[in-house]
This record gives sequence, structure tokens and C-alpha cells, in this order.
Amino acid sequence: MSFVRAKAGITCSLAALLLTCWVVSPCRAVDIPPLTHGLTPIVEPRPAPTLRLTDMDGRVHDLADHKGKLVVVNFWATWCPPCRREMPSLERLRQRLESQGVVILAVDVGEDIDTIFAFTGQLEPSPNFPILLDRDSGAMQGWKVKGLPSTFVVAPDGALAFRAVGGREFDHPQLIDEFLKLSTKAEK
Amino acid sequence: MNFRLLAMLVAIVVLLSGHATSADQSQRIDPETGAVSWETHAQGVTLLLSQIPPDPVRAFYLNRGFPSEAAELYATACVFMTVLRNDAAPGELSSRLADWSVHNAGRLQSPQSVEAWMARWQALGLSEAARIAFRWAQFPPEQEYSLGEWNQGMLTTGLPPDSHFDLIARWSVAGKTYEGRLENVVCAR
Repeated sequence: MSFVRAKAGITCSLAALLLTCWVVSPCRAVDIPPLTHGLTPIVEPRPAPTLRLTDMDGRVHDLADHKGKLVVVNFWATWCPPCRREMPSLERLRQRLESQGVVILAVDVGEDIDTIFAFTGQLEPSPNFPILLDRDSGAMQGWKVKGLPSTFVVAPDGALAFRAVGGREFDHPQLIDEFLKLSTKAEK
Repeated sequence: MNFRLLAMLVAIVVLLSGHATSADQSQRIDPETGAVSWETHAQGVTLLLSQIPPDPVRAFYLNRGFPSEAAELYATACVFMTVLRNDAAPGELSSRLADWSVHNAGRLQSPQSVEAWMARWQALGLSEAARIAFRWAQFPPEQEYSLGEWNQGMLTTGLPPDSHFDLIARWSVAGKTYEGRLENVVCAR
């Protein structure tokens, strides 16, 4: 009896997982829109909005503390298909450019730590940059985000330099070049 | 057989075939799920609608704290995963969901608005976490897309299962309006 119950439980869990996967990535076997690799320059650079949130370990991160560095601010959620797909490339970007002063802050909207951890734990490479918790979506509204994922590149002087709406392959050579150019420009 | 009769027969066959689509429109079926997707490329923009049947929609929102009646309401509202991407438009495009239209059985309507859904969830007393997940899982009501930019999100028409409709997506570039059309799209059952 207990075996039957356990088997039914496993079947239900698998079904729920499959159904959730369908919603999260309904067109995976059809035509998944490709991750792109361009950044949109912000024509009239303005100071980045404030960003002060706690990470999954309870540590406070303030964008203002990173002045002098190039910061990539990525707004995302685990149920957002392109966010899931681009996340490993953010970690590869960190691995490539952290030593050159590039900082990555990923801002999750409205989810709890267990949900985020269950997702990031499956990733290869697993994110090793701070994941900040925007529980009430206040930060997203402050940054005027209209859809997920949205990413902003903050220049070392604290001005918004680029934005990217939709999923990106962040370690694409074209993007690496853009980040390096902006970093180098600031040093001159 | 006279020419007029022949033309009528051809028109009837096209209408009944379920594949009366424009030249740039393609349709695919996911071999694993059976979900159908419709895609078109117009004026340098890709528009894609992919069916999401009620069961996975229900599961998605129940897992995010929706009470069953709220999940049911949304799951049966003809849900599509929607993608709009600026591949090669003549400039940054601006899109407002309120400008899109759904043509069904001679009637014209806009897709259901995110604001209207949010008002419903507020009235039903859904938790803030559930409302936040809902809001950001939807296709953006307004957005600007530069070259290479795109969004993917859920959109509802509110039509019954199996309904057939045409969707016209509209956007503007430098004040000029463009549109992309998907014909004979079918709500999942």
C-alpha cells in the first residue's frame, strides 16, 4: 500500500514538474528565441537609480559602494525562461572579467531563497555573484523595468551606460569587448 | 463549373483547412507537448505565439500561491506565450498591448490587459508574492525594443478553448505604425 502511495506521489511530482517546465519553457522543442549579444547605448547617460538590497545570506549590497567599477545589474526571476538561459553566461562573464573590476549584481524579483537556491543549484557554472532579493519589486519599479530579463550596465562613474531588454549571451566576445572598452575608457 | 463557383469552393477549402495563413507565417507543433506555435516576421520584427494549455498554466500559478479559483480563471482564458523581437526594424520600436487586436468571429477586441487581471487579483485578495509573480510573468503591456531586444511573456485573449482568431500586433518606429499579423491561431483546449 505504501509502495503504491509512494509511486503515486512520485508520479504526481513528476507530472507537476513537467507541467511547470512546459509553462516555463513552452516552446523549447519548437523555436526557442536565440539569446542575443548586443547592448543598447543609453544616449543621454544619467545617474543609475539607487539599489540597496540584501542578498541570500542577508548581506546588504549598495550599488553606491561599487563606484569606480563597471557594474552589470540584471533583473530576473526563476520562472522567466530567458532569465534562466542567460544566467550561466553571467557567471562566465564574472569569471572572465571580475579581475578587471567588473561587478555583477543579479536582482531576483519576488521569490524566496529556497526557490532561488533550487534553481541556481542546478546551474553549471553555478552563480558566484550576489543575488539580491527585491521582494516587493520596488527596485524594479525604481529602475523602470518593464519586462524580464532586463539588464543595465553602470559605468564606473555611476552613470547608466547600456541597457539590454531580453536574454543575452553575456560572455559573447562582442559583449566582453563592450565591457572592456567601457572599463578602459574610465581608467584613461 | 463556372468561375464564380470554383472561386467560392477554393475559398471554402482554404477557410476549412485551418492553415489559411499569410506568406510569412509558419506553424509548428511541439512533438513532446502537442502545443502549437505560430510565428511571423514582419518589418524586421519577429512575433511568436505558443499555446499553453490550461493544465500547465494552472500548475504554474498554483505553485506561486494562487488560490484554485484564481488559477482556474486565468488558465481557461486562452493563454499564449508571446515573443516580440526587434531583429531588423528601421529603429527602436515602441509597443503597447492596448494597440494590439484580436479578431474572432467578426468581433474585434484587445488582448486582456495586465491591469485588469491585477485588479481582479487585488479584489480576490491574492498575496503580494502571487501578484508580483503574475505581473512579471505577463508579456509587458508597454515596452521599447532596440535592435536585438525582445521579451517573452504570457498573454490572454479571454476566448473559449478551441477558438480561432487572428492577432494583429502593432508597434511604432519614429512615429510610424507597423503591424504583424498571425492568422487562424487556435486557443489550446
